[in-house]
Amino acid sequence: MATVAAPSRPVSERRTGMVNFGIQLLVGLALLVLFPIAFGMRWANFLPLLKPDALRFLSIGMFATIIVSLVAIVVSLPVATGLALGRLAPQPWVRWPCIAFIEVVRSLPLLLLIFYINLRFPGLGVFESAVNGEGYVNLVVGQALSRAGLAVMIALTLYTAAVNAELLRSGILSLDRGQTEAARSLGMTYWQTMRLVILPQAFRRILAPLIAQFTILLKDSSLGAIIGFIELLRRAQILFQQSFNPMEALYVVALIYFVLNYVLGLSSRVVERRRPSVHVPLSEV
Amino acid sequence: MTIWLTVASALLSLIIGVVVGVMRISPVPILQSIAASYTEFFRNIPLLVVLFFVYFGLPNTGLRLDATWSAIWGLALYTAAYVAEVIRAGLGTVSKGNVEAARSLGLSFMQTMRYVQLPQAMRAAIPPLGTLLIALLKNTSLASTITVGDLLFQSDFVGNRTFDPNILLIAGAIYIALTLPLGGLVNVAERRWAIKR
Repeated sequence: MATVAAPSRPVSERRTGMVNFGIQLLVGLALLVLFPIAFGMRWANFLPLLKPDALRFLSIGMFATIIVSLVAIVVSLPVATGLALGRLAPQPWVRWPCIAFIEVVRSLPLLLLIFYINLRFPGLGVFESAVNGEGYVNLVVGQALSRAGLAVMIALTLYTAAVNAELLRSGILSLDRGQTEAARSLGMTYWQTMRLVILPQAFRRILAPLIAQFTILLKDSSLGAIIGFIELLRRAQILFQQSFNPMEALYVVALIYFVLNYVLGLSSRVVERRRPSVHVPLSEV
Repeated sequence: MTIWLTVASALLSLIIGVVVGVMRISPVPILQSIAASYTEFFRNIPLLVVLFFVYFGLPNTGLRLDATWSAIWGLALYTAAYVAEVIRAGLGTVSKGNVEAARSLGLSFMQTMRYVQLPQAMRAAIPPLGTLLIALLKNTSLASTITVGDLLFQSDFVGNRTFDPNILLIAGAIYIALTLPLGGLVNVAERRWAIKR
């Protein structure tokens, strides 16, 4: 997403670019239609999914997925920042716990983490009785705050925080040492330096991989389906077990996830446009 | 079982990934678009959906795979999208002069790819491929959901028998014991086959 159009790009080249984009779009759409045909999906099997009941059922799961993912994304950011700063801290009693946490959580499969949190802390079910009602919003929030929903939320937060801490650390390390030194010699404290100088630049540099990690988070929220978090995928599973149309139901769910992730990807462009990264020459680290 | 799943789907995904990655930079726009659609699609849907599709969905078309092979194919198809991106990035590091020289010597696109571009690209791609391999190893735990008896499935089974969630800690230790040496191995491979420029 360039904010400034390239000044002297020949018209012919621009046209090829547009034609290529058009071809890409057409082929993409064609595959979207060809895929179900190739796998012998039947239109009749899509119909049970389009009934109002089914749509309501699915959309509750979709919003529960969105809530859990968003909370995990928002909470994981400060945790990741703390872990990254902790790992870079000079004091060993701060550094070592952070390193241990990051390395262990990063090398565990997320599903194992979810299982463990779900089994180990049955107390997470405290909100289960708090939200009960038949209203649409109540159903969505109740699902997101159910024991399984919270377990997924916590596991996703911890896992993403550990991964993003490493990302942020590499972002901080990629900055010129002079930045820190200049800020410190201006009389800023450590926290001022971090907050005003280092972190804003580091975050801008890692924006793209950060959003990619959030995409993974959103996809991984589907693991909740296994421990009884009745979100989008689990609901699709319930539906296809009733009407025996697994391919069609899963295809629809795949497309929903695709759209959700696409929107998430767009958000990175919005951030990028609002606060364009300043292209200072990267110092060799 | 976890190791067998990892190895089998790693090999399969490498093959599919290289094909898709090469398609992505081929001179034919249609092939490019198909490859781009493939990577975008699989990178944006959950692995679990892919696994369910292969395991629950495909039998409807008459294609019946047992749980293990469903898991291997699902993992391979999913990982291949990431491999393709890595290969594409690797191909991007091959200098243009190399390609142009090969083409002016009269090599065809496929020949240039085989003898000039891919060997260089694969070397550049070793570190990110290693990361993918580790991610794949962790992802194999999802196979437990379609009744494959992998490490997580077995430990969950034991945990359910004994009502002791701590068995999962042991499983976690085993996963760490598997991923850490793998990371070291990747570093060795990276140093061994680094491109000398």
